[in-house]
Amino acid sequence: MTTAGLDRPAPGSVPPATAVTRHGPAYSGLRLAGLYLVSRRVPMALGLIAGIGALLWAALHWHWNIAGGAAARQFIPLTLETGAAAVITVTTFGPFGEAERAAGRWLPWLRLAATAVLTALAFGALAAGATAGVLPGGSLALLRNFCGMAGVGLLSAAALGGAFGWAGPMAYLLVTEGALAHRSTSPWVWPARPPHDHGAAICATLVIAAGLVLITVRGPRASIRESGQAS
Amino acid sequence: MNVEISEVTRRFGRTEAVTGVTLTTGAGVFGLLGPNGAGKTTLLRMIATVIPPSSGRLRLLGRDPGEYGPRREIRRRLGYLPQNLGYYPGFTVAEFVEYFALLKEMPPGRVPHAVAAAIERVDLGSKARVKMRTLSGGMLRRAGIAQAIVNEPELLLLDEPTAGLDPEQRVTFRALLRDLGQRATVIVSTHLVEDVGAACGEVALMDAGKIVFQGAPAELTARGEGTGAAGDAPLERGYSAVLVAARSATAAAR
Repeated sequence: MTTAGLDRPAPGSVPPATAVTRHGPAYSGLRLAGLYLVSRRVPMALGLIAGIGALLWAALHWHWNIAGGAAARQFIPLTLETGAAAVITVTTFGPFGEAERAAGRWLPWLRLAATAVLTALAFGALAAGATAGVLPGGSLALLRNFCGMAGVGLLSAAALGGAFGWAGPMAYLLVTEGALAHRSTSPWVWPARPPHDHGAAICATLVIAAGLVLITVRGPRASIRESGQAS
Repeated sequence: MNVEISEVTRRFGRTEAVTGVTLTTGAGVFGLLGPNGAGKTTLLRMIATVIPPSSGRLRLLGRDPGEYGPRREIRRRLGYLPQNLGYYPGFTVAEFVEYFALLKEMPPGRVPHAVAAAIERVDLGSKARVKMRTLSGGMLRRAGIAQAIVNEPELLLLDEPTAGLDPEQRVTFRALLRDLGQRATVIVSTHLVEDVGAACGEVALMDAGKIVFQGAPAELTARGEGTGAAGDAPLERGYSAVLVAARSATAAAR
């Protein structure tokens, strides 16, 4: 007679606490980070970012092009950078609301780490995609343009909420395309400037630094539903 | 005293949601009653350290929540169930409660046992490995209560905790409240008078951002006797009588 299965708990039931291995602070930290990343849909975001990198690779490899001036030449790379920035921005949206905000000190650090790592990985994916051909401005322009765009997204999430953070990069894309078409050279429209331009680099750096600070310290704006001011 | 609130006011733009509230309470279950828009949720959010007061003084668990270090200590010892609890649908009930246990910096060795115990206390043991998306409204509310009590808080704040619970679950929940109130300060915001009568040792009634009554439920009941105030139960009549008297006094003062 076999005893297999006798000790199995009922499907879906809580495991006995004594059966769970005791873990140290390092495991707890990793577990917390893992649960945080899953709740922010970061695995899905990584898939999307990889897809955007592959799309850039395909666009450069097969010379997808839009005939015209600077605005047209940069349209596909800028659109893909905007997409990657929007994906990063949307991961700042948290589903737990005020219960999470009232639960300890780790939340700001989790936001900062997740955003910084995702931004770095997204730049890596875009840079890998850019190896397939000649990207206008090269890797330096890609770094500046993408980081600035991510910063616009983070500022937008801080102002509008994580779920609507994508609106900032989309609006910036339209502004940039308009500026490129009209040959504007403002450093705040960094894709319109040469890759080694200091003013544009400073502006893009300021924007991503401000975005990271705001998202870390204040987080994305809370929705009216979760703030519940009615009673 | 675990909660000391002195002349606290909170404004949202031109709207004054809470006006000069003074409140002190220690261990036990404290009921916060009042009609919709009375300021209960805003007061609870300030006690939960989610929003700061516009003016006035707040001390929680002997600490000032306006400073970073003390606020961190308060949050480790706090349990909070907001009116609108969000959840990630892909989490299981156990993962949901574990996330909050880790966020509240519980000692790693205690987390598995605390998670299992909190889930059992809200009678969701058989659903621990079930995804949150499959739970009913009442079960979600119980999962929310589990995350609030997982760290055995010294200060537990529950905003409309019985919303969505069936009568049997509400009776069980009131027993849980009484049990928790033996060690901790439990503040329950509700507009259901019967919850307060059954579980709370002390009650405050809010209207238009102010506390218009504070005392034992029996004292609130006594306020309704012989007044002809509306209500099916004695406590409801006391509630109505106090509200009518407070509103008459406000109108007379204008």
